[in-house]
Amino acid sequence: MNTSTPPRGIALAAVATAALTLAGACATSNESSSGGGSGGVSDDSIKVGGVLTETSATGYSTGGAELGAKARFDRANAEGGVHGRKIEFVGAEDDGMTPDKGAAAAKKLVQKEKVFALVPVSAPQFGGAEFLEQQKVPWLGWATGPFWCGKRSAFGFNGCLAPKPGQQTQTWWGNQVAAQLGGAKGKKVWIQATDSTASKYATQTMSKSFTAAGFSLAGTSAALPAQSPPQDWSPYVNKIMKSAGGKAPDVLVSTMAGGKFATGLYTALKKAGFKGLITDATSYDPHVLRDPQTARALDGVYAAPQFEPYESDLPEVRTMKADLQKAGGASAVLDQHAATGYWSADVFLKMVEKAGEDLTRESFLKAAEAFAYENKGFGRIAFPSGKTASNGCGSLVRLERGAFTVAQHLKCFDNTTL
Amino acid sequence: MSELLGYVLSGLVTGAIFALMASGLTLSYSATGVFNFAHGAVGFLTALLFFELTTGLGWPVWAAGPLAVLAVAPLLGYLLHRLMFRGLAAAGETAQIVATIGLTIALPALGLWAVDVLVDTFGADLPKVTEGASARGLGPRPVHTWHPFGGMSLDSDQLTTFVLAVLAAGALWTLLRRTPLGLRMRATVDRRSLAALRGVDADAASAQAWMLSSALGGLAGVLAVPALGLDSNAFTVLLFASATAAVFGRLQSIPVTFAAGLGLGVVQNLVAGYADFAEKVTGFRTAVPAILLFGGLLVLGRARGRAAGSIAEDAPPPDYLADLPRWRRALPWSAGVLALLVWTFTIGDDYWVGLVAQGLVLALIFCSFVVVTGIGGMVNLAQASFAALAALSAGLAFDKGLPFPLALLIGVLAAVAAGILVALPALRLGGRVLALATLALALLADQVLFQVDAFSNGTVGWKLPAFSLGFADTNDARVRVVVLLAVIGLVALLIRNLERSASGRAILAVRSAPTAAQSVGISAPRAKITLFALASGIAGLGGVLYATFNGQITATDLPALTGFVWLAVVVLQGVRRVGGAVLGGLVMALFPEVLGNVTDSQYVGMILFGLGGVILARHPDGVLAQFAERRYRRRKRGERLAEAQTAVAGAAVAAVAERPERPERPETPDAAGAVLRLQDVVAGYGDATVLRGVDLAVPAGEVVALLGPNGAGKSTACAVAGGTLAPTAGRVLLDGRDVTAWPAHRRARAGLYLAPEGRGVFPALTVEENLTVRLPSARDRAEVYDRLPRLAERRSVAAGALSGGEQQILALAPALVRPPRVLVADEPSLGLAPMVVEQVFELFGELRDRGVALLVVEEKASEVLALADTVAFMGPGRIIWAGPRSEVDEEKLTSAYLGLAGVGDQ
Repeated sequence: MNTSTPPRGIALAAVATAALTLAGACATSNESSSGGGSGGVSDDSIKVGGVLTETSATGYSTGGAELGAKARFDRANAEGGVHGRKIEFVGAEDDGMTPDKGAAAAKKLVQKEKVFALVPVSAPQFGGAEFLEQQKVPWLGWATGPFWCGKRSAFGFNGCLAPKPGQQTQTWWGNQVAAQLGGAKGKKVWIQATDSTASKYATQTMSKSFTAAGFSLAGTSAALPAQSPPQDWSPYVNKIMKSAGGKAPDVLVSTMAGGKFATGLYTALKKAGFKGLITDATSYDPHVLRDPQTARALDGVYAAPQFEPYESDLPEVRTMKADLQKAGGASAVLDQHAATGYWSADVFLKMVEKAGEDLTRESFLKAAEAFAYENKGFGRIAFPSGKTASNGCGSLVRLERGAFTVAQHLKCFDNTTL
Repeated sequence: MSELLGYVLSGLVTGAIFALMASGLTLSYSATGVFNFAHGAVGFLTALLFFELTTGLGWPVWAAGPLAVLAVAPLLGYLLHRLMFRGLAAAGETAQIVATIGLTIALPALGLWAVDVLVDTFGADLPKVTEGASARGLGPRPVHTWHPFGGMSLDSDQLTTFVLAVLAAGALWTLLRRTPLGLRMRATVDRRSLAALRGVDADAASAQAWMLSSALGGLAGVLAVPALGLDSNAFTVLLFASATAAVFGRLQSIPVTFAAGLGLGVVQNLVAGYADFAEKVTGFRTAVPAILLFGGLLVLGRARGRAAGSIAEDAPPPDYLADLPRWRRALPWSAGVLALLVWTFTIGDDYWVGLVAQGLVLALIFCSFVVVTGIGGMVNLAQASFAALAALSAGLAFDKGLPFPLALLIGVLAAVAAGILVALPALRLGGRVLALATLALALLADQVLFQVDAFSNGTVGWKLPAFSLGFADTNDARVRVVVLLAVIGLVALLIRNLERSASGRAILAVRSAPTAAQSVGISAPRAKITLFALASGIAGLGGVLYATFNGQITATDLPALTGFVWLAVVVLQGVRRVGGAVLGGLVMALFPEVLGNVTDSQYVGMILFGLGGVILARHPDGVLAQFAERRYRRRKRGERLAEAQTAVAGAAVAAVAERPERPERPETPDAAGAVLRLQDVVAGYGDATVLRGVDLAVPAGEVVALLGPNGAGKSTACAVAGGTLAPTAGRVLLDGRDVTAWPAHRRARAGLYLAPEGRGVFPALTVEENLTVRLPSARDRAEVYDRLPRLAERRSVAAGALSGGEQQILALAPALVRPPRVLVADEPSLGLAPMVVEQVFELFGELRDRGVALLVVEEKASEVLALADTVAFMGPGRIIWAGPRSEVDEEKLTSAYLGLAGVGDQ
């Protein structure tokens, strides 16, 4: 193979050149001079658009948030806008739960559609966070993943759900369940996650939440295969049923994502004779009522939305329902996401109001940096604390014989240290 | 104890679904040589249909189930066969893998899109897939649960699944082993061309295999849907798990595959139930099938030969631009780059320039496909994982305070190291097995490696800031475009040098003929490792730049499945050249934007990307090569036209000069009454013409001996007669009818019996089955056994285990009982002992006496001359002399073999 020496030399030279070119490069900050402008704001309008996971391979969809935001903006516009500017809502882009599509969607909204801010953003694997941070474009929505936390441009109406160790994490969920059970003393909790980093992380915050509320841990498990639910639940269920000193735990908390996991696990648990309380974050979904099999699997489950449930008769909730039905027609689906979209838009409007008449991205971010707002619909939100901690509010909804009922009204609790 | 038993029993139910899926996979693979990655997608589509029929339209299960599984799924299989698989069977391995991966993307998207359109556009009252969590299976509703003993429970869904799977397996076995349809399928699987020569419509048999395979996939899908929900990714994962079972069945044995599927289900359950140590490693349990798949491939992949009859050549296509001057080849690309730069710095706005930059980053990553697939001919499904690995490593290094250039280097080196690690199994595995192994590794990376918090920093990932070149920094998309163009240019240079270097030629040699390359001392392992290392390095560089330009990298940014889409896009543009990679990158980034003007549905893009596979089935070398070929043909046509004009001008002179010397075209006697007749046949392979006007007639009750030296075109003439090769000019007549357009199996049914060179038997079928293919009646077979007691003794032995002589006798035996109109024997005495040869020629003699027309092709004249009535000598591409046996003497023979034209006619 001696003959190969000269060409390989050229090849090596080429690589070396490439390496040198890049080596000459040195890291610089991602600060951009182009951002921070007043893009998307005119004398009488503010242009906004959102990024949602409308479709995904697992069937998970936050698409309802578009209707929610639209409903809230419609109300604001009907009331004359904010400082004389109406909200021009261009709708939401779909990220298909893939980061690169989310990044592309964010770029499209900012650079092509020239929106002022991204509202609502509700995408578990949003990929546009760094771009928006770099361009200093504000974005608001339902904060779930860690990419919401600690960014200057990001604002979750519910704060940040993924604090770092040492920061503040929520206790409302544990406290609300304790209230439901009439006290947490001596009660044991099992936390079930799937076998992925995100779900495992959630077991940490959830353990904190429930132990802070006075529960003791029966155990946690992240053994479920992450990509698709097991076809056979018996190994997992057996473990749960013996976790509290050979007996079943009093409470089962699920941090699993995807409806199929929930139906599968709960059905199997009930089959095995589980009588405790089951709670999760995803079951507050009118779709589950349509199928008798799913409805039966989820019967008795306590879902934990971060807003006052639709079934409540608080005036804020009645207004929201009316707005949603006005914007979406009689057939509007009132799901979790419609509410998160609605309240995200609500917080955005408050921030715009605070930013004053001279609205630029910079003035908006400045106004939002020190911001506090309370609303019975979703509790409260304050920044900068909301950048690293949950707003601390949530409610419990129970699915009972094919209908949701309010088990615990929305309430806010103090956070605890993770 | 009862817990263990419970795990085993319920594991068997899960396993039954794996087993069904895997059986379908094995069936279609062995029937057509195409490993169908889209098998899970077929299951998904069937399940989706079933869901819409039952939940949406309220159909009862007994109607919806059979319609979906027994009617629509097979129909889908048939359509796919017609549109894709038929073409793919002859395409290279790369095209096969990529095309079916494209389908994996397209089919589910097509189904989901159809539902969307029905609901949104036509207002159909159907549930959308977001409600798919409620999908039911074939079992009764409500679900019954039994507690047979202990803490064990069993429900009606599980029972239904298991019973149906076992029934389906039994039916499949019976069909394959006990029916003529099954025999035809197995014969086709065994030796496709021979099956056609024996009157089996191989194409129809393939179609049937696909239909059957689709039905199995569909059944598995419908059975799995209550557990999986309508999640197309879950079905893809199900397919990967099933592939493990299929690999354990060596993609050949359906019973072993079925058993392996059952076993896999049990193992998965036991790991879930007992392997507590695994809890510490995130992703370990998820990855059980991937780990087993990888292990299985390493253990079993070693000695596996390819399934007979499924060989798809993977030789590089001709370079259609070779005749163009160098500047002309480079012109379009230089002009393109220049135009792009001008646009970037003048009218291009931030958004579009940003998109182009994104496309160019992808193009850089895609260049790695050019190296490993385009040059190396290997399919690597882990490329996205390499890019992610490099980016995460670089992010980690940068986070630890290393300067960016060093972090970049670490990232690239990490990818190179991973590439070498992947290449190690690649040394022993070929083609599909390698693709599966890289797939297993990609899944392992996603499920285990990237889940390690210390490596990927949880779900947050690492930040990678833009870098400065001193005068500008990469926050500006324009700078990114320039940097990327420069890097891609360097990579292109590197690739070109690699191709032209001795190592490049070595790689090409390894690819085209591994054994031959080895025998001349070329080290295949070294070539493969070089390729993998280089490709991974390029992918790694691209991955780090991708992350840098996005500002961050997380473990989920570049999932393994993304790599599939990438591969499909690149191969569609043309994977053999950097141009294809660049085009692919730009298409990938810009296409969604263009499409966004037409439709809001995210499915349409996926459908279009995926359906590229259909194009690939026809044009395995991609769009660029296709354009080049078209231009080449046009140029050639122009040249030929010019040539023809010159020829016409000189024709008169030539005709006068030639005529006196040219003898009457030699023709066998009684051409008019011949049973088989070749008329002015011109035929060849690709650009190489082998037969240049062959005339041959074989009358009934006569033996025509076709003699000639090696390479004269004797076997080609046989192939044209048999119908396995279509002539470019001339006619083939059978009993006076023009059968030129008839496929081989139709000619066989009309009485043409061809015993091809080598042994005309199906090696994997038993003697009995070999005979049954041609002699379906048991009485006929009994007659064969009467005549040939040796075969009777060995009737249940696989034909491949017979001696050469026995095989030849077996090949000719059916003709003995049911004499054909004409028998063509291509070198029947090759490699046989003299005694056996005698026996074979006796057989020919008997057939002649019974009125069969025989064409016996031989290189050596001695034995056949004793038998022949007429002798034809073949020179290069022509019959140079033909006449009665009596006129043949030593001198004619000698001159025929020495290639002296005319053979003493003057």
